[in-house]
Amino acid sequence: MQELVLNQPVSTARSELVREAAQADARREFEERLAECGPLAFRVARGVLRNTADAEDVAQEALLRAYKSFHRLRDRSRFRGWLVRISFRVALDRLRSAKRREQRDTLWAKPEHLPPVASAEEIAASKQFQGHLDRALEELPEKLRLVLLLSAMDGYTIEEISSMMGVPLGTVKSRIFIARKKLAEKLRCHANTIKMR
Amino acid sequence: MPCEHYKDALIEVAASGATPSGELYAHLDACTSCRDAFVEEQTLFAAIDSGLHTAANTEVPVSLLPRVRARLDEAITTQRHWIQPLGFASAGVALAFLLLLIVRPHGNVPNNVPKQTPAAPTPMAPAAGTHIEISPSSIQVASTTPNLLHTPRTSTVKHSAASSHPEILVPPDEREGLAQLVAMLNQHKDFAAAFLAPRPEKKDALVTVDPLLISDLEIKPLEGTETETSDGTGERH
Repeated sequence: MQELVLNQPVSTARSELVREAAQADARREFEERLAECGPLAFRVARGVLRNTADAEDVAQEALLRAYKSFHRLRDRSRFRGWLVRISFRVALDRLRSAKRREQRDTLWAKPEHLPPVASAEEIAASKQFQGHLDRALEELPEKLRLVLLLSAMDGYTIEEISSMMGVPLGTVKSRIFIARKKLAEKLRCHANTIKMR
Repeated sequence: MPCEHYKDALIEVAASGATPSGELYAHLDACTSCRDAFVEEQTLFAAIDSGLHTAANTEVPVSLLPRVRARLDEAITTQRHWIQPLGFASAGVALAFLLLLIVRPHGNVPNNVPKQTPAAPTPMAPAAGTHIEISPSSIQVASTTPNLLHTPRTSTVKHSAASSHPEILVPPDEREGLAQLVAMLNQHKDFAAAFLAPRPEKKDALVTVDPLLISDLEIKPLEGTETETSDGTGERH
């Protein structure tokens, strides 16, 4: 019993040291990826939310989640794709909850009695098209939307997107093609807006 | 309006970003409306790509990475704050358990403690002229579900110390009978004395059984019967 009482603090301290060392290693490794992948997380979130402040919050949340689960990621080379999926998922959750909140607020505020609010952005033609595009993008299936967003980002080739998402190259290409066609179908009726730009 | 036959083909070509070739190229060269429609499609896809590029390449706020780092630090600190007390708490619980294991045998009391607390009268010889008094107030009615294990040890001790009378735990259904017994004992002191009188102690002695004595046996043939003998061959004589 004496031995147990004497050894316990030593083993606890040792395990504490081991844990801290492992944590420091994980932190270092994560930091190395943070500078490269942080902007990616932000841009994915921004592509979904179309709001810089919200996107920054979501990117932070996604990076924090990624850090907490970093030890579970065995193949560290897949970090980017993993982070992209986390960011996309968190951003979608945020968008859905924002929509729910908006619906609730709209219901409570009884908008039929309120005058329609038109922002300067909506009035401007170029911004109007961007608004239509955002809405059309939002209606795309998630798989198509994510691939299209990644393909529109600077610095990512189709091959990189393919390895990032873990899908074949041909699938990435066909998803991009289908997504663009779907967007065009939705935006064709706003073609006159484009002429104004 | 583009020609219906070439409508899908020119959308496909515009979507893929390729240049029209072959039959489509010849038709576009000849048909003005299809050419206009093709230019419109190209403009539409260019606008989509441009809009997507704008949306996808927004300037990353400078504050993003420092904030993430700060939140990571915060998360680690919080984790540490949780882990350390948890470790100490578990060690404390283990130590308390060990102490409990050490202390327990010394304080161990048999489970029949409450059975002893009634202070049942020990067989003592009452002195001549001893006045026996059992007051009904000293009878303690036991609960219907007596939990002997959880009966607080100290409570009976305190109670016993407070009153000089012996205490008896009585279940509620036997209370009336005991009250009658007490009343009867108070009336007939000799009965009470007989109750409390010591029993003559018998020392256990070895039980011995005397050997069974059987008188001499006399064997006589029964009257009116013939003697049968057998020679072992099965023949009777």
